[in-house]
Parts: sequence; C-alpha cells; structure tokens
Amino acid sequence: METKHPTRFNHLKKWESTLAACIRCGYCFEHCPLFKYTGWESDAPRAKIITAFGLLSGELEPSEAAADKLFNCFYCKRCEAACSSGVTLTDIFTDARKDLVEMGYAGPGTTAVTDLTCAQCLLCVTACPHEARFHGENGIETDLVKCQSCGTCVSICPANAVNILHTFGTGKEDLTRASARFLDTHASAKAIVFACNWSYYPDLQASRLPESETHDKDYDIYVNMCAGRLEPETLMAPFLNHAWGVLVACCPEDDCQHKNGGKRSKQQVKRIQSILENLDIDPERIQVVEIPDGDKTLFQAEIDTFIDHLNALGPIK
Amino acid sequence: MKTIDESKLREIFGEENIKTDPSDLYAFGSDASVHHAMPWAVVRPDNTRQVQQLMVYANDALIPVIPRGGGSGMCGQTVPIRGGIVLDMKHMNRILEINLPDVYCRVEPGVVDDDLNLALKPHGMFYPPTPASSRIATIGGEIANNASGVRSVKYGATRDAVLGMKVVLPNGDLVTLGAHTRVEASGYQLHKLMVGSEGTLGIVVEATLNFVPIPEYRCMGIANFDHLAHAGAAVGSIMASGAIPSMLELVDSVAIKAVNKTMNLGLKEVAASLIFEADGMVKEAVDYEINKMKEICKKHQGSDITTSYDPRERARIFMGRKKLFPALSKYDDNLSSTSLADDMAVPYSRMADMAGKIHEVAKKNNIIMTAYGHCGSGCMHTKILMDTKQPEQWASARKAITEIYEFVRSVNGTTSAEHGIGLSKAASFKVEKADSLRLLQTIKQALDPNNILNPGKLMQAPDDWVTATGLRYAVNN
Ligand SMILES: Cc1cc2nc3c(=O)[nH]c(=O)nc-3n(C[C@H](O)[C@H](O)[C@H](O)COP(=O)(O)OP(=O)(O)OC[C@H]3O[C@@H](n4cnc5c(N)ncnc54)[C@H](O)[C@@H]3O)c2cc1C
Ligand code: SF4
Ligand code: SF4
Ligand code: SF4
Repeated sequence: METKHPTRFNHLKKWESTLAACIRCGYCFEHCPLFKYTGWESDAPRAKIITAFGLLSGELEPSEAAADKLFNCFYCKRCEAACSSGVTLTDIFTDARKDLVEMGYAGPGTTAVTDLTCAQCLLCVTACPHEARFHGENGIETDLVKCQSCGTCVSICPANAVNILHTFGTGKEDLTRASARFLDTHASAKAIVFACNWSYYPDLQASRLPESETHDKDYDIYVNMCAGRLEPETLMAPFLNHAWGVLVACCPEDDCQHKNGGKRSKQQVKRIQSILENLDIDPERIQVVEIPDGDKTLFQAEIDTFIDHLNALGPIK
Repeated sequence: MKTIDESKLREIFGEENIKTDPSDLYAFGSDASVHHAMPWAVVRPDNTRQVQQLMVYANDALIPVIPRGGGSGMCGQTVPIRGGIVLDMKHMNRILEINLPDVYCRVEPGVVDDDLNLALKPHGMFYPPTPASSRIATIGGEIANNASGVRSVKYGATRDAVLGMKVVLPNGDLVTLGAHTRVEASGYQLHKLMVGSEGTLGIVVEATLNFVPIPEYRCMGIANFDHLAHAGAAVGSIMASGAIPSMLELVDSVAIKAVNKTMNLGLKEVAASLIFEADGMVKEAVDYEINKMKEICKKHQGSDITTSYDPRERARIFMGRKKLFPALSKYDDNLSSTSLADDMAVPYSRMADMAGKIHEVAKKNNIIMTAYGHCGSGCMHTKILMDTKQPEQWASARKAITEIYEFVRSVNGTTSAEHGIGLSKAASFKVEKADSLRLLQTIKQALDPNNILNPGKLMQAPDDWVTATGLRYAVNN
C-alpha cells in the first residue's frame, strides 16, 4: 500500500516501524476492558494500532470516530503486557492524541470532562496523579493527551462536576447495576468482589458459560479502573441488595499506577466499616486486600478466605 | 460497491450490532496476514436465526458475506477481497453444554479456545487441538482453518475433535451435520468437509466437540544438534519408533539467534534444537516414552539433552520457542516479521531438507527466514523478516515463496499444515491441487451457487498474492 498523502501526524510518524512490527496477532484483545465490555473487535487494542496505521498512511481519513478510537483508553497497559511483539501501545496512542489535538479533535473518549457546576476549587488539579487537570480558558480543563482516565478527579470533586462519559462498564452506575443484577438472579450469591484492573483482573471473559456451571456461584467479580475511585455508594449498594459482604482488591500502596489509589480505597472501606458498625453489622463484612499485579493465586485465596468468613457469619439479619 | 440495505440489517440485528463507520470497517479489513481490504458493513449476530436471515438477504441481493472469528488467520482468510458484509461471530460465544458422561461439549462458534479450556479444567478435561493463538482464536475459526497446535502430534487436529455441527448454508437453510457419537460410519461426513473450508461453504453456528482428560504427568526435554539433518533424522526415528510424543518441536539456528539477540536468553547457538514432551496418567509410562525419545536423540548425535517434570523447568525449556514471535518482531527495527510462507507440511524424512531449503532461499533472496514448527506433525513454519517499505523486498519475498512451495510440492509435501490458504498461499495450493480444482469448484458451486460466502479465497484467489489486495504495510513508491 502506498502512502497516499503527506502525513499530518508528526508525532505519530516516529512509530512507523513499530506499527509495521505489530504482527496483528490479536493477543491483546481479551485483556482490554474496552473489548471485554463492548465485544467489538474495533474497540480492541489491535484496532487502535490499525487505526493509527491508517491515519498515518493516509488510508483512513481523520474523523471524530477514528479519533475516538485513540481517545478511548484507560492506559491500563494490559495490552502491552499481553503483546506478542513488545509493542508499547499506549505510547503510540499518546503521540496519536497529540496530533489529533493539534488537528482540533477534542475527544473526550474516556478522558474526564468538566461540567458547568464546577466551583473551581482546584481540588482535582492537585489530586490528578497525571498532571492532566489545569486552569484554562474554559475554567478547569483536562489535558487530553495526559489524562489516563483514572477517575480520581471524578470521585474527588465535591460539586460532582467531573465525569467520564464513556466508562465501558467500569463506572459507578455500571458497577452498581451489574452487582445488583448478579445478587438478584443468583439465590446462592453472597459476595461482590471489586477488583482493580491493575491489581488482578479476571482475564478470559469473552465466552459465556452454561447456566449449569454458574447458577450456584457465591460471588462475582467486577473490574474497576482504580480501587481508589470506588465511591461509598458503589460499595454500599450490594448490602442494600442483600449481599453478605463486599471485598475490594487494590494494588500494594507503593505500586499504584495512580499514586494514592490503594490508600484511598482503604480509607473508603474504613468509612463503610464504621457505617456498618453503627448499624450493628459486623464491619468485617467489607474488607480490602492488596493484590500485586496479576497474582491470581493470592487473589483467589483471599476470595476463598473471605467467603469462609461470610459463611461463618451467615446472612445479614 | 453494491449498496447495502442498512435498514434490512437493522431489522435483523438491531442498530447496536451493526458497524458502518469507515474507522470500524478499516479495522475489520485485516487479520494477521499481510492483506487489507475494506468491507461494506460489519454485523454481529447473537443467534442462528439472525445468521439465517442475513444469508437469505445476502443471497438474494448477491452481497458477499465473510464469516469472522478472532481475525487471527495468517493468510487473509477473513480479508474481504470483494467487499461485502463481515459476519462477526464473536458474540455467539456460549458454551452450551459440557457433557461428561458422553465426553463431548457443545459450543457456539464464537467461544474462544482458551475460554473453553478454562471451563473444562475444573472437570479435569481439555480440548486438545489448541493453536498457539488459542487466547484469541474462536472455535468457528479453528474449525474453518482446521487449526492444530503443539499437542496435535498426539491428540490430532481440529478435524479429529469435531463430532458434529450445525451449519447455516449460503441460502439460509440450517443443517445438522455429523453426530454426537464418537463414530459415524456412512454418508459423506459433511461436517468434516466444513473443517478447513475457510468460511466458503457454510457458517458454523454450533459445534459438538470431543475432549480428553488432562494428563497427570508431563515431562519435557530438549536436545541440541550441530546439523539440521541430524535433528530431522531424529524426528523421523521418534515418530517411527512407536513412541508417542505429546509435543515434538523444532527450532533452527536463525530462531535461536533471534531469541538470543532480542531476549538475551543465552541459548546455545546450535544448528537446531528439538523440544519433546510425553504425557500420561502413569509416571512409568511417561518415563518410558521420554527415555525412548532421549535415546533416539542421542543416537542421532543430539547433545545437552535434559528432561524435566517440574513445571518451572518445563517453562524454561520451552522459553526459546515461546519467545520466538516477539524475538522475530524485535529482531531489527527496520525489519518486520511478516506472515508469509508461514506454514507447510512435508514428510518426516524431508524435514531437515525443508529447513535447509528455507535457509538457502532466504540467503539467495536477501531476506531473513527461520524454520520452526510442530515437526512431530510434519508441520513447518517460517516468517519472512524484511523491510516492508522497500518494493524490492516484496519482489524478493514473492520469488522466495514460489521457490519454497515448489520444493514443498517436489517432496510430496502440502501447502498448508494448519494456518490455511486464504489469499497468500493460494498460488501454491492451486498448483498442488491442479487435478482436483474442478471438483473443489463443483462442491463450492453446489453449496453456494451465487458465490457469496467468502468469495475469492482458496481456489478462487488471485495467483499473485502481492497484488491481490492492498497490503497492510506502507510501501514506498
Ligand atoms: C501468533 C499466531 C499464532 C498462530 N498459531 C497457530 C497454530 O499454532 N496453529 C494453527 O492452526 N493456527 C495458528 N494461527 C492461525 C489462526 O490463529 C488459527 O488458524 C485460528 O484457528 C483462527 O481462528 P479465528 O477465530 O481467529 O478465525 P478467523 O481468522 O477469524 O477466521 C479464519 C477462517 O475461519 C472462517 N470462520 C470463522 N468463523 C467461522 C464460522 N463460525 N463458520 C464458518 N467459517 C468461519 C473465516 O471466514 C476464515 O476463513 C496462529 C495465528 C497467529 C496470529
Ligand atoms: S491500555 Fe488498557 S484500555 Fe487501553 S487499549 Fe490497552 S488494554 Fe485497552
Ligand atoms: S498483541 Fe501486540 S502484536 Fe499482537 S495485535 Fe496486539 S499490539 Fe499487535
Ligand atoms: S484525575 Fe485521572 S481522570 Fe482525572 S484528569 Fe487526571 S488522569 Fe484524567
């Protein structure tokens, strides 16, 4: 394929040989929270690489939709860890974003947007772990190139003025809805596990198991994009739907992709524990555990111990 | 380009299961091959009824339909060379039944191979054809490509594991082929015809698959050889000895060098290494098999022979093979690892000659090629490392591939062991099957008279793969 017209993608250009080095194997698919949620291959990491190649080669005209492919990403780097060919996908996305922003594309994709209720308190500006919030012409804005969609600003904003519009199943409402559905449809259900995508995330979810294999499940796992971002409403919701307990998995404190996620999640859980205590409910019905990146064995062991603990306690009266 | 009645697609699939934006279509225009072509629309069925409805519409409107699983095919099988509608089967991904007493499972075609194995594991079972791409390959794609993998030397390819299936024909009819039993004597075994048909005869909407118990013991070994010919002879002797390897892999000197260069694994740089494995329920039986293989390697001047049951040690032994893809991709910043001449099969006795031929052809044509593969099944793989920007390199690749497949055919080998034909291997396939091409076309015509299901592939593909479609690489003018 010939390069059709001179590139306007000056930042992306340096990745030309890497884009060719991607063998398009698709090993990155099933690890991507976007693909897991929409099930569309065109949302998967490989498609983002193909889009970047198309834009750079001139085969694909820049458009809102094409730009969105590159603005939609949580920077979890699961794709990079799974890549058969050592492609550093998110670095490529970042450079593509720089070019797209210069061309006037404004996302937002998965980046944070500020609405009119912003009180300009600057809390988010200090809290953003990636220096992506700043005071600009239109008040508090997000740097589309730097934002890694961690959601810290969303959960910290006292005016509820920050949002991530495209949550791909990992937002507050998504988690609440999904956990309620599980608790509602499984008589055997006891616990909800909120797993941080960085600590341990269940892979291989692209296929659906037969009813016979799942009907007596006692817990279900929901992946979020940073344990520090789990809000009290999300953590309390399962209790209102008759869960026996809630387990939160976060990263070890010194290993948080978003700086203080682990610490913040512990604070949140502590807060819920004191609410439970006030309600005369065993506070240990909500717990937080640190799981290092990808430690599946520890993750499963912690879940098993937690379920044993709940079995000893029984349901909440 | 024909116009597609989008309202018809919306009526069948619902708005949320259709893609027509160029940015989506562009992504669905490629797979793991060198090819690229734009489809006109992508649809995502959730059930058989929708697949039938689509085929009735497409057959009537004469619009090509290209079934697609994970899109990991290496030869352009899913690249819509004549445009049309991509039928993305990934959403029909239910494991319908795991029937232990009858030792079969029923699955929809979009189930990912690794997911199926994850579901079988708690029952102590596994689905053995498993290609290296099992984390993305779907059962539908594996059936259509007759996929196989490292363990196929003992457990067989997809064709051996498929008991039966439900298939939607190009006119929308639904047929049940094969059976749920281990044996079925008579009739045309049409389910086996679907295996390897590369989505050109029918759309698999359900498959009944055999599974086997996970062995209690696995033991893996490695042997180094100073001459390719010795490694090749060892393969033939092992297979003729009555030993039953559960894996028998070859990696050549180029592969070893690539892994050392990019991964710093410090492997001994010999002409070839053989990795072998035996598995079973009884340790003594596994010992017997592994010792037999060890002896044979020794007899053929294999050196540095080690074996181990320990999972960590086995992982270490396999590391060189496992890291081969990333090693080739990272070999040199200016070279891309392309899926070309990716796969072939030759008789055991010609394995070493085949690897030697690959080296000779690569050198002559100024490209880098490595020989590796599931040699226990007679399967050989290679990749072409080349500067994809340079038109001359494509010309060299074209020449190299022609020479390689001429050799394959001259030693009674076959064009594809497991990756399929699609577009990039069609030229050799057509020569190899010259006297049955009419028959193949007659079968295609009988099932798909309007030629709408994945047209332009296999025997219908253009002879020159370089110009058959756009390439997925940017090539200088
Ligand atoms: C890194 C890498 C390693 C690989 N290793 C191996 C290996 O070890 N062994 C091996 O055999 N292959 C291997 N392959 C090739 C490929 O992954 C397999 O052949 C796999 O089976 C393709 O599955 P898929 O779901 O991706 O199919 P796709 O690529 O999506 O489709 C393949 C063919 O199947 C057809 N198809 C898909 N679904 C259906 C359906 N439901 N009904 C009818 N037709 C359908 C398509 O039209 C197409 O012709 C490898 C590929 C890569 C990229
Ligand atoms: S970084 Fe995470 S969200 Fe982004 S493409 Fe990779 S896997 Fe998907
Ligand atoms: S895993 Fe890596 S090489 Fe494979 S498609 Fe994804 S980015 Fe490309
Ligand atoms: S806090 Fe997180 S979501 Fe908010 S702007 Fe910073 S990086 Fe983006």
